[in-house]
Amino acid sequence: MSYFTVFKMRLRMELQYRGAMIGGIACQMFFGLILVALYRALYAGKPQSLPIESVATYVWLQQAFFRMMLASDSELVDKIKSGDIAYDMCRPVDMYGFYYARIMAQKLMGSIMRAVPMLVMASLLPKGWGISLPASLPGFLAAIPALFLGLLCVCALENITVAFTMKTLDPRGMQGLLSLLMMTFSGNLLPLTLFPESWQKVITFLPYAQLLDAPIRLYTGNFMPNEALRIYAIQAFWVVILIALGEAMWNANKKRMIVQGG
Amino acid sequence: MNTLRLYFKSIGMLLKSQLQYPSSFIMQTLAQLVMEGGEMMVVILIVDRFEKLKGWSGGNLYFFFGIMSVSFYITELFGRGITGDFPSMVRTGRLDTFLVRPRGVLTQVLCGGTDPRRITCIAVGVAALVMGSNLSGIAWSPLKVLALVESIAMSCLLILGLFMIEAIFSIFSVKSVELVNAITYGGRSACQYPIDIYPLPLRALFTVIAPFALTMHVPASWILDKPLYGWPVWTAFVTPLAGAVVFAVMTALFHLAMRHYRSTGS
Amino acid sequence: MSYIEVNNLMKDFTVKKKREKGKLFREKEIVNALKDVSFSVEKGELVGYIGPNGAGKSTTVKILSGILTPDGGDVKVGGIVPWKDRKRHVGNIGVVFGQRSQLWWDVPIIDSYMLLRDIYRIPKGDYESRLKELTGALDLEPLLRTPLRLLSLGQRMRAELCGSLLHRPELLFLDEPTIGLDAVSKLSLRDFLKWENREYGTTIMLTTHDMEDIEALCSRVMVLGHGKKLFDGKLQDLLERYDTVRNVNIKYDGELADLRLPEGIKWKQTEDGIELSYNPSDFPTSNLLGMLQDAGNIRELTLQSENTDHLIAAMYKELDL
Repeated sequence: MSYFTVFKMRLRMELQYRGAMIGGIACQMFFGLILVALYRALYAGKPQSLPIESVATYVWLQQAFFRMMLASDSELVDKIKSGDIAYDMCRPVDMYGFYYARIMAQKLMGSIMRAVPMLVMASLLPKGWGISLPASLPGFLAAIPALFLGLLCVCALENITVAFTMKTLDPRGMQGLLSLLMMTFSGNLLPLTLFPESWQKVITFLPYAQLLDAPIRLYTGNFMPNEALRIYAIQAFWVVILIALGEAMWNANKKRMIVQGG
Repeated sequence: MNTLRLYFKSIGMLLKSQLQYPSSFIMQTLAQLVMEGGEMMVVILIVDRFEKLKGWSGGNLYFFFGIMSVSFYITELFGRGITGDFPSMVRTGRLDTFLVRPRGVLTQVLCGGTDPRRITCIAVGVAALVMGSNLSGIAWSPLKVLALVESIAMSCLLILGLFMIEAIFSIFSVKSVELVNAITYGGRSACQYPIDIYPLPLRALFTVIAPFALTMHVPASWILDKPLYGWPVWTAFVTPLAGAVVFAVMTALFHLAMRHYRSTGS
Repeated sequence: MSYIEVNNLMKDFTVKKKREKGKLFREKEIVNALKDVSFSVEKGELVGYIGPNGAGKSTTVKILSGILTPDGGDVKVGGIVPWKDRKRHVGNIGVVFGQRSQLWWDVPIIDSYMLLRDIYRIPKGDYESRLKELTGALDLEPLLRTPLRLLSLGQRMRAELCGSLLHRPELLFLDEPTIGLDAVSKLSLRDFLKWENREYGTTIMLTTHDMEDIEALCSRVMVLGHGKKLFDGKLQDLLERYDTVRNVNIKYDGELADLRLPEGIKWKQTEDGIELSYNPSDFPTSNLLGMLQDAGNIRELTLQSENTDHLIAAMYKELDL
């Protein structure tokens, strides 16, 4: 049950950083306001088929769950840089699973604790500025499992980044590139719904779109609830692929480390 | 003059040490290029979908993006000591070694950090400026060039001043980095678009507290031949000085805060 | 007036406590790092500054070197108040922190020295003669083109010392300079400091936990505890005050008769004799010797004082530090 213990420990740690949490919420609220103001100004010039309320909702959900995307485990990266990771690699547990649980706890707790107050605040904003109610009850219910699958996906992605970090030892270049891909193609910089339609056909199949874009589209009604199963299937497909890839990379790293003797 | 020489010598030395690890340096520099390119792509996609923004053409938007990008990354290139490294200088006690030398603390902090990887970001910004200038059909005159240079220089001082808030926080060991990011990185995200598109409270914020409106928006509007709300032309040269004012105020506060510096490991 | 004058120096730190359950804000606690410390140091003195961890040693040094502003009291170093006229003050001092470097990590140390020359505005001729002299005395010449990160700990400390003396400071602060050094490096470092002090009359103030540093270098020692000055004088005087116990080791030939020693003398039997410790002021030595002689045929007798570390530990204990 060591995975569960790690998970619980991390949850408790996350709860302690209340100061950072309040700062983070304020920052994300501010970014949300700026983005909504920008899209409203753009809409004023040339309205789109997609209603502005839907764009605002998209922005707020992205901001509320921003913490989920952020590379969360700086302690782990430090461990890799200092070489202390070698000790962990020699423990008799599956290290991939160990860190997967750790990262997931951080992301889950960090984003829920920020998302709930943020969404409450965003719902108090005037219509067209704040977050709207879900398109339908089934849509809302369908979004929840999708969000969970998205969480599994993002944890697997972060573990792949970590595996890269272990390989190159100087992680900043690679991390920068991977986080750019994440920010752009997850819809954080610009809602994927505002990308050119032809791009969207491809982008929505990428793993990055599975994190938040898929659940948000179910919430706003951009995807219909009856499409939910198809979406879950794509998400689950990526979860399996990404976990398998990450696990393979971790094992390769482990072998290399044992050969080199740490 | 001596101080300036010292600064460039220190920067040279930092460059020398960063080039001790060339492959990592090149990789990171390229990563920066792709990242800033991504930001630029978002603006292009927005222009592609919406064509214009409240009377500002696509070319105008690239021009604004370019000014912000160039100013922001020049600041990070030369002011890394404040924009990035200061909290760790406090944590590791490097600030102590600055304090026992007969030079200004701020001078030494700035001498202590540079981020040459940003050069590619600046290149993206310059590309955006050229693209924006061509698409907007700006008729360049010496006065307009001067306005652009002043705008960029003053915006750099403003950005440096805003990052000093974080430095001041870390002197008191307050960990509210994310709160400060709202004004620095948030300011960049917001003000890479013309500021008059925002509702009044945001406009007020970016005029009074983080006056990007004064250092960037006013001179850029004049360069783009937009009416300056009926103001005379010289305002385009006077308002950017707000950047220097913010920097001066923050410098004074920084020195006040240093009196309460408690050093670590006592 | 003395070179360094410190009067009623005070410094408080507020420490945030861990938040207790049910309370909205964390409580703050004020720690008096220094309460009312006064001393003076003459030019050319070599002073050791000792005390347990957290006694306020570093705080004093940081105030004297202009890093910290005190909450009360007066300090003058060569007529300058360090924190008020920081730039002028630090031009006259050199500081070496044992655990942090003031040289640049990735570049050859000669480059660091050249930058220090610019920072301290050292005239070219002065710089060259000083560098030559210091690198000679510290045996650094072969290392000048090596980056700091490739130097051993001992070499690094020598490089730091050279860097902090290039501008010929009148006053040198050393914060645990020998920490982590091997025996050879320690000895050569001490020789160098003595030389520097003799040759240029540099005033040196040294904090350390290594009593051998103090014994080898300092004619004068100050003891700090709980933010107060507890002792100021010669090391010898300090030691005598706590140096009350003598350890005796006696070896006997042949069997040992039944030995009875009075209360207050701790002793134990060893393979071929006994070990005991006693306090000569409590128990006359001649009486003790008589008893020992009666017990058997003494082959060998060694008498020794407690070593310095034990004495200092005894002192800290007595002072409840």
